[in-house]
Amino acid sequence: MSTGQENIRKVEMYRYDPTEGGDGHFDTFDLQIKDESNTTILDVLIRIQKEQDATLAFRYACRVNMCGSCGMVINGREGLACKTNVSEFATNERITIRPLNHFPVIKDLVVDMDPFFKNYEECLPFFEPKEIVEEPAIIRPDSPERQAIGLATECIACGCCVSSCTMANYHEGYAGPAPLNRAFTLLNDSRDGLFTERMDRVLQSCYNCRTEFNCTEVCPKEISSTRAIKFIQRMAMKEPFRKIEEEKAAAEIENVEPATVIGKAEPVISMSNNGCVGCTHNQPDVGRRDFLTKMTLGIGAATALMVGGVMASAFVGPSMRKKETLWVPAGKMDDLQVGKVTTLNLNYTETIGIYKQDNVKPVMVWCQSNDKNIVVYDSRCTHLGCAVRWDKTQNSFLCACHGGKFALDGSVIAGPPPRPLDHMEYKIDNGNLLIAMVS
Amino acid sequence: MKQEDTINYRKPLQWGEFDPNRRRNMFVGMWAWMWQRITAVAIIVLLPLHIVLTYKPWLQFLLLLAVTFHATLGLRVILLDFDLVKVEYQKALIWGLTGLGLVVFALVWWLIR
Repeated sequence: MSTGQENIRKVEMYRYDPTEGGDGHFDTFDLQIKDESNTTILDVLIRIQKEQDATLAFRYACRVNMCGSCGMVINGREGLACKTNVSEFATNERITIRPLNHFPVIKDLVVDMDPFFKNYEECLPFFEPKEIVEEPAIIRPDSPERQAIGLATECIACGCCVSSCTMANYHEGYAGPAPLNRAFTLLNDSRDGLFTERMDRVLQSCYNCRTEFNCTEVCPKEISSTRAIKFIQRMAMKEPFRKIEEEKAAAEIENVEPATVIGKAEPVISMSNNGCVGCTHNQPDVGRRDFLTKMTLGIGAATALMVGGVMASAFVGPSMRKKETLWVPAGKMDDLQVGKVTTLNLNYTETIGIYKQDNVKPVMVWCQSNDKNIVVYDSRCTHLGCAVRWDKTQNSFLCACHGGKFALDGSVIAGPPPRPLDHMEYKIDNGNLLIAMVS
Repeated sequence: MKQEDTINYRKPLQWGEFDPNRRRNMFVGMWAWMWQRITAVAIIVLLPLHIVLTYKPWLQFLLLLAVTFHATLGLRVILLDFDLVKVEYQKALIWGLTGLGLVVFALVWWLIR
């Protein structure tokens, strides 16, 4: 702060002469400022115009942050000239003043605000009552509706937010922060009768916001248009359902009165075309929607195929694979008694797909004569698969389930089994008996 | 409309092309958005690389970092979109969530991995 201290400030001013054209340039002015904390940029502009260069063009009206005429870019940041003090900038810092972005420059700091107000009009910035009432409508100050709108109605349409918004530059037909903020204050107003018309007009625009908060940062009235746009986006989530309801209602009306509808009220607003010549805002961007729908479906399908393919090959693949014969060690050949049947339990791990299971399977080994001549019987009864056991006293294999009885050579003696006991493959390796497990 | 024929308007400035102070107009919210876009592109590039070149630590590091930034900044936008956090905390959300994401990233990378 340099209160009461005289200081010479260098002011760089953007100049554009419409009679010359071109890109424009910056002029430097030296200005002695007595009390910086008491001098606004607007004072600086007025003094330069009076004392140094009478051709300097700029707009102002109220001088007290009320009218929004003097929006400009001061030291790289949008603001009102009448609200920005010289003392906000360090004493050795140059002050640069230039017109707002995204608006055609008419002369020096004066921009053509037509694009802004066209967008503003497009969002129907006026209140249209739902019904004519004698008494004032009662909206309590602490009602959620009023609280949500808050101070968003204080916008003075200075255009600073649009200038700071990078998306206003890149999205053709984007209404911009201030018009959307205005639309929000009316969309959220329960007394207003133009909800559907207004919503139709801002629906495309409200998705162009990228949550950068530039508009919120520069707003001289400290309104957050980003917040307003988020509100509209949340309202817009219900839009598809409203459209369906409307179509249903329209179909019903047509069914009831197929002839001309006499009592049908004219829409209050019919300026969709003549109100904004050449605008494309309220025409739905079909190409983009179509593209996004197709992209979503396409990428979704491709992802599903890829993920499905990997899952299928990982989970189903192993179970389709041809199984290799598992040779399970059953014990030493020397332990078998010649001429007798020995029951052995085979411990092995079975793999089913990606699932592993420890199994114990009994087999009966009949050692006929010497060590090379053996028969290995599967303990599964050939009838229904119950376990068969060797009975020494009856000298036969017995099945407990249905009285199946097999002879020592495996042939059926009695009961329901349709065929002799199954033999299992075996091999002898170094005196160890190995039995093939095929499942 | 008639005026435009006689007066030459300068085409709109886009970002204060030759304003010496134009860099002052860069707020963190804009960089948050920009950085999320950049990391999105990085993920698109790194993910196929990660599938092709498996178990390359530098690649895993870069991919996890890109995903961390993209996820935390995306979470911020979701929280703001659905009004789960008031917009006035948007800057705190950037630093808070990104910081939290980086802490989780560091834990995952140096402790768990």
